[in-house]
Amino acid sequence: MPFPVMHSLTYFLIPNLPPDAYQKVLETYGLDKPLFERVQLYVVNFFKGDFGYSYKYFPKTPIELIAERLPRTLMLFSVVNIVAFYTGFFIGKVLAWRRGSKSETWITITSVFSYTVFYPWFALMMLWFFGYKMGWFPIGKFLYPEKWYDAPFDSDVIFSMMIKFVVIISLLQFAAYTATRGIEALSSRRNVRFASLIAIFIGSYFYWNTGEALARKPYAADIAYHMILPVLVVTIVAFAGTALLTRTTMMEVLKEDYILTARAKGISQKRIRDRHAARTALLPVVTSFIFTIVTIIDGSVLTEQIFSWPGMGQLLLQAVLEEDIPVAMAAFSFVGVFALIAHLIADISYSYLDPRIRVKSQG
Amino acid sequence: MKDILVVDNLNMHYETLEGNVMAVNNVSFTVKEGESFGLVGESGCGKSSVASTLLQLQSDNAVISSGSILLENQELVGMSESELRKVRWNDISIVFQGAMNAWNPVIKIGEQIREAIREHHPENTKKENTEKISELFKIVGLEDSIMDRFPHELSGGMKQRAVIALALSCDPKIVIADEPTTALDVVIQDQILKEIKKVQELLGLSLIYISHDIAVIAEMTDNMAVMYAGSIVEMGPTSSIFTNPRHAYTKLLLESTPSVVGEKKKLRALDGEPPSLINGLSGCAFSPRCPDPSEDCSNGKLDMKLIELETGHWADQCCVNCG
Ligand SMILES: Nc1ncnc2c1ncn2[C@@H]1O[C@H](COP(=O)(O)OP(=O)(O)OP(=O)(O)O)[C@@H](O)[C@H]1O
Ligand code: SF4
Ligand SMILES: [Mg+2]
Repeated sequence: MPFPVMHSLTYFLIPNLPPDAYQKVLETYGLDKPLFERVQLYVVNFFKGDFGYSYKYFPKTPIELIAERLPRTLMLFSVVNIVAFYTGFFIGKVLAWRRGSKSETWITITSVFSYTVFYPWFALMMLWFFGYKMGWFPIGKFLYPEKWYDAPFDSDVIFSMMIKFVVIISLLQFAAYTATRGIEALSSRRNVRFASLIAIFIGSYFYWNTGEALARKPYAADIAYHMILPVLVVTIVAFAGTALLTRTTMMEVLKEDYILTARAKGISQKRIRDRHAARTALLPVVTSFIFTIVTIIDGSVLTEQIFSWPGMGQLLLQAVLEEDIPVAMAAFSFVGVFALIAHLIADISYSYLDPRIRVKSQG
Repeated sequence: MKDILVVDNLNMHYETLEGNVMAVNNVSFTVKEGESFGLVGESGCGKSSVASTLLQLQSDNAVISSGSILLENQELVGMSESELRKVRWNDISIVFQGAMNAWNPVIKIGEQIREAIREHHPENTKKENTEKISELFKIVGLEDSIMDRFPHELSGGMKQRAVIALALSCDPKIVIADEPTTALDVVIQDQILKEIKKVQELLGLSLIYISHDIAVIAEMTDNMAVMYAGSIVEMGPTSSIFTNPRHAYTKLLLESTPSVVGEKKKLRALDGEPPSLINGLSGCAFSPRCPDPSEDCSNGKLDMKLIELETGHWADQCCVNCG
């Protein structure tokens, strides 16, 4: 007797169900079949990506819901993670380099504070201060509904567009960096890299001021504005872990003989710090960073709740609280697949970062 | 011949929680153009400390209390970091003790050498640098393909050869080799020593060769200094020291080494430990281990000072007087 399922279904959807309709519902969900067949069906459907229909948003499938929510979460947290990683890595690197100085002590104490602070309390305090007291940033939501009232498109269109933009920019930057590695003279390499950065800036300026993107710009700007506070808060909490870890690993690396050799070679301090010390200290930092990526979606539950950001985290939480079982199952499965993909990326990036784990394809 | 490096009355100590470790005391020596100079002594006597001070690369807790290091008439003590950067590798380079760890594990060998050349000769093209490295590799007996390898893909001996190529990459006037063959097996050790000797003669380099093994010093150097407890106790032409050692420590060191030169002698073990260098020593540091100290030696009344016995052969005056 599939009672619990039917209970939640009837409870949320249709309180007084006539018997023939009840029968119909059973058939729709395949609940009249024997248990074994149902399991088989479930497994087959799982691999087809078919999770049935949401109880709550009935005609929509869980996959449709995820497709709608995911870009919002990814947009917010990829920005947070990139910003947190770079600031964390940079600060950790500088801390290790200036070991023993006064600024090191103070920044370390601050980092430890933000690493250990009770996050919901901190987020609410920031929300209260910057959103309410100062009124600089919107409280909650990811857009002003009144602005979007007569928008000719959905918000996910804008979200996917913004994500695409961010991805393309990063890829271009990466490509420029890789392409200039062969330039021998350091100063001209630096200049070319700087020029490529400028070119990317100019390119994005033109992109946002022509054609389709121009019409979408105010909406994208609205979303970006709503993102500032959550990004700021989560970054403050998230950067500290990276910073402290970078500091520790880099202090170990600085004791290595090859750092002394680099100094003996007459290499500049900055280059020793960045090219020799930080580069080698990167591996454990990237490892831990990938693990934070894995927790983006489950980690987003809290953040999205506090900032009323209707992304995956909220979807997950609502599905569980309201017993929207197909959606909950789909969302959890997705978290699992996402974790697998992140680990795959981690493995690939290791081999890029550390030649010692690189496997030779030829003999 | 021209003096390349003149070290005069160098004093250096490490500040530690237990007190000052007097690692380099009144050290003076001169290295001439094309000369190979040896520095020998037991573990912990301050050889590496001298080497790192020559490049001004001593650790943060090291203090140079007095003395001067003249490299081609440039004073290195007290030189600013940016000026030192120009001198390092370009004029004086070093093969560190444990040079196997001298390679950054995530950067290709060729790139690590190129990096040094690039720093001192920014005008070079990539092709010129590659040719330069290839030329150096030929001298030390490595194939060009090593350039594109990562350090972990090389054997210990190959890494060591590559380190020598690295040390030569900016055509320095003087190279310091601090026990460059430790951690290698005997056969490879021998090859590397021959390689260094060959390179030194080929390029007319000045070389400071540091080792605890007096036999290697005999093979490698023209002039040498014997260090004990942070001080030079005897210094002079290698042949002269081997045939006519004057300091009790040098004598014991020679006797404790299986026949280097001359007839076979009965080996004598060097008993005891070198003294702790904390807070300095007065009198002869070797007296507790000396086989026949005179009375003056043990009551610490002696004044330690090198005196010239024959042309260029110096030894501690007290030891010469009493022994
Ligand atoms: N950074 C440091 N801080 C404090 N003491 C040090 C430091 N480096 C070396 N010492 C001490 O200085 C003395 C000389 O050390 P050094 O490394 O110069 O000896 P060495 O002759 O090179 O010995 P080895 O043959 O073992 O390499 C030793 O007693 C050592 O413990
Ligand atoms: S000075 Fe005296 S104690 Fe020192 S080594 Fe010479 S003989 Fe021995
Ligand atoms: Mg040493």
